[in-house]
Amino acid sequence: MGALQSSPGQPEYVDLAEKTGFSFEQIGVLHKRFKQLSHNEETLRRDHFNKIPDLACNPIRSQIIEAFFDRRNFCKNGDGTVEEIGFEEFLVVMSHFRPPSLHMTEEQRESLRREKLRFLFNMHDTDNDGTITLEEYRHVVEELLSLSGALGKDTAKSIADAAMLEVASISMGHMEPDEFYEGITFEHFLKLLNGFEIESRMNIRFLKMDTTTLCK
Amino acid sequence: MAALMNEEGGVASRLQAAAATEDLWCLALGLFQVWMFVVVFLIMLPAMFGLSLGVTGVYIQVLVRVLEWATLRIQRGRREQPSVPVPLPNGIIERVGGSMEEEVGQLRRSQSLAGGKFALSDAFYFYKKGLESIVDDQVTQRFSSEELASWNLLTRTNHNFRYISLRLTIIWGLGVFVRYCVLFPLRITLAIIGLSWLVIGTVLVGFLPESSVKSWLSELVHLTCYRICARGLSATVHYHNRENKPQKGGICVANHTTPIDVVILANDGCYAMVGQVHGGLMGVIQRSMVRACPHVWFERSEMKDRHAVTSRLRAHVAAKTKLPILIFPEGTCINNTSVMMFKKGSFEIGGTIYPVTIKYDPRFGDAFWNSAKHNMVSYLLRMMTSWAIVVNVWYLPPMTIQDDEDAAQFANRVKSAIAHQGGLLDLAWDGGLKREKVKDSYKEEQQKMYSSIIAGQNAASSPKPTEEQ
Repeated sequence: MGALQSSPGQPEYVDLAEKTGFSFEQIGVLHKRFKQLSHNEETLRRDHFNKIPDLACNPIRSQIIEAFFDRRNFCKNGDGTVEEIGFEEFLVVMSHFRPPSLHMTEEQRESLRREKLRFLFNMHDTDNDGTITLEEYRHVVEELLSLSGALGKDTAKSIADAAMLEVASISMGHMEPDEFYEGITFEHFLKLLNGFEIESRMNIRFLKMDTTTLCK
Repeated sequence: MAALMNEEGGVASRLQAAAATEDLWCLALGLFQVWMFVVVFLIMLPAMFGLSLGVTGVYIQVLVRVLEWATLRIQRGRREQPSVPVPLPNGIIERVGGSMEEEVGQLRRSQSLAGGKFALSDAFYFYKKGLESIVDDQVTQRFSSEELASWNLLTRTNHNFRYISLRLTIIWGLGVFVRYCVLFPLRITLAIIGLSWLVIGTVLVGFLPESSVKSWLSELVHLTCYRICARGLSATVHYHNRENKPQKGGICVANHTTPIDVVILANDGCYAMVGQVHGGLMGVIQRSMVRACPHVWFERSEMKDRHAVTSRLRAHVAAKTKLPILIFPEGTCINNTSVMMFKKGSFEIGGTIYPVTIKYDPRFGDAFWNSAKHNMVSYLLRMMTSWAIVVNVWYLPPMTIQDDEDAAQFANRVKSAIAHQGGLLDLAWDGGLKREKVKDSYKEEQQKMYSSIIAGQNAASSPKPTEEQ
């Protein structure tokens, strides 16, 4: 039977809290979720994510799952992918979706915005060459659109092409007839999403937990 | 001389030892007799006749007082040392926003996009939903035990609770002693008596020719045996709305949490069981049960053929004199916080459906059988060393299939009624997701929805591939 369990080590949480900006409470909740997803193993693999039914219905789940295994999201100059992640990496990736705290300066807000956009940019730029090429862009569009039903395959392709041309015209202005548009760089990406309130749209808010409930 | 003395001394001590062991044996025998007396006359016989001496009621009340005291102490302790809180039923994260149309529409409007065009920001809706489902989803949590808001002094439910005070630890230790040394032997004895009585009784009844006497006797045997087994688990069952109890020729349908559901329901009425033929002890019990009254046992190969299964069940129901069939349409054990998809096979048989809701009180013991974590034997041992099993059973009014609905819709209707009565969450997901993956058709639905959003906004102008230079 054994003695009463001890709580997860507080010193570990202090490090993680500093690194990611989550509170102890939130880290505890996410740790429980991590253990639930990994079936109490130490690391998470891609097939653990594939078992979540809600996620399996999402058209761009493969991009989302890849983001968790992408070294670029763990540290500044990482490269390549890993096969499995521990709790720390899980938390670091989740921290990109932290809502902005109320006591942020303009500068901090701007850097948070850049960070989130960088994360999203990396999700599309799968070969890590610094640009989202037409192929990668088209890939996203095709994943989202159904190949059957309302839109046919050709329509989907043309939508992707039209969208890319739109992007090119916004970023480059007028192009010469034989100029070739390589792809969306990060700066173009920022320009594209200039008016987009990413801080408020791309975040996960935790509910307030009530720690005092009577055993009735 | 000295040798003789020694020898005498040796004999004397041996005699003393023999006498002592004999005394011990007498003592043991005496204790055993007292024990059997207690078990048989104070527990078994009243159980067989459906009476109660009220001991269990008092026990439960004392237990509730103790657990309430423990909760208050834990709360006090928690205020001094904060720990990880328990997730609320509505989840960990805030989920705002409406359907896909609303959200994507909002995104596009903020960018003032025309119809028929794609924008990268559309994808953000899906990213956010994907992240949300990674952090918190409705299905994965149903396949593990429910977490309690406060500790109920069982080590197995102790996830977050650390050492709080000496008194609490003493009470916990006392609880361990009471559960393992006092209650557990009692329960094992009762379980053994109950099961052997079932086998012997049904075999004996099986020798009689088919008659109303036989069916009456077999009902008696089954009822008494299940009552003994229920006592063997210290089960306190509250039945509500007994006027809706399943009648002969009907089908009884209930939510499934544990194999003990069968004992709980059969405590109050006789059912024809449906299931796979097992080997070993279960096989012996199954074979003897079917001698006394017609249960429906399937071979493993027959289970694959849905048609054969349905026709056999249909034949059973059509003979209006046979006992009502007991079916669990979820197909697997769920952790009693929600009701998952009902498989429509049971609802295609025809006949009247009698829905039943079973809700376990999690404070006294975790009844959920996590078949991935425990096998049957260790599960039963855990059940027998919990505080008690307190259950509420509601008999719902009978339902029949309407003309304008098909089996799947009928199944959903019954499922909602059961979930509503028990205060359980009504989920459309398949319990089979415990072991399998999501069907591909679900994945395509979201794609189709998004496509129609784009196409819908596209109604005015059709997209033409333009060549701009």
